[in-house]
Amino acid sequence: MEHPYLFFVKLFEAIGLGHFVHGNVHVLYMWVVMAILILLGWLAGKNTKLVPEPVQNVFEVLISGLEEFMVEITGEEGRWLFPLAASIFLFVFIGNLIGLVPGFFPPTANLNTTAALALVTVVFTHVIGIKYHGAKYYKHFIGPVWWMIPIILPIELIGHAARILSLSFRLFGNMMGHELVLGILFALAGAFFAPLPIMALGIFVALVQAFVFFLLSVMYFTGAMEHAH
Amino acid sequence: MKKETSKTIRELAYYSSLGLSVALSIFIGLFLGIWLDEKFDTKPVLTMVFLGLGIAAGFRNLMIAAKRSRKL
Repeated sequence: MEHPYLFFVKLFEAIGLGHFVHGNVHVLYMWVVMAILILLGWLAGKNTKLVPEPVQNVFEVLISGLEEFMVEITGEEGRWLFPLAASIFLFVFIGNLIGLVPGFFPPTANLNTTAALALVTVVFTHVIGIKYHGAKYYKHFIGPVWWMIPIILPIELIGHAARILSLSFRLFGNMMGHELVLGILFALAGAFFAPLPIMALGIFVALVQAFVFFLLSVMYFTGAMEHAH
Repeated sequence: MKKETSKTIRELAYYSSLGLSVALSIFIGLFLGIWLDEKFDTKPVLTMVFLGLGIAAGFRNLMIAAKRSRKL
């Protein structure tokens, strides 16, 4: 679904890159989200003080809240995973929220973006597993007894494929659905008041979906760190 | 955030994601079976086998969730 007017697409058309951005709106808006995040991070970390300034204060509350929440799930040994988990949360959250601004397209409403995020998460769970268990990580895949290997192994592999798909489809479906409902309401019911409740719900959906993505990836990390059952 | 609230939120997110993973496991198994059948020209056999495996994988998620909820 192409929006009627997207600021950054028009900008890129003006400098002669229109044919690229028309096919890849999500890539362009992913760059926008990246720019926003880098800018915010630079603002927050520019001059950190013991008595924080407002921007630093907001970030400290956010980051320490998330970290406490995550360490509660993973235990103390999982604290080094926090940078990846928090980047996922912040990226998905800003990516979802940006869709509420007129002229912006949420990059998470495209399956390519969400599949990339989910792939990073699930591949990283295996990296963690190999890091923690070494070659013994294969025991996660073969079940408790040897004669059940032909049944358990495909089941586990299907389960891991389902993780990628469920992470990516859930986020994509929610954001795409939100965009679609908004588009239909704008077309049917006029531009001002009818879509307003949906946009208010959109804030909630953005937060919940970012949180669910964050939480599930943390849970998968934890599962890779545990011993084989 | 209070300890009890954060636990509730965690449970909520986990259990709400359970249904989707069950459905997706079944469909992954089914489509894998169909694809392998076309590859090896063994029309209904591998579809059935992998559909069964997919259903088993889906229900394994439920079993793990049940085990977790008993432990918590």
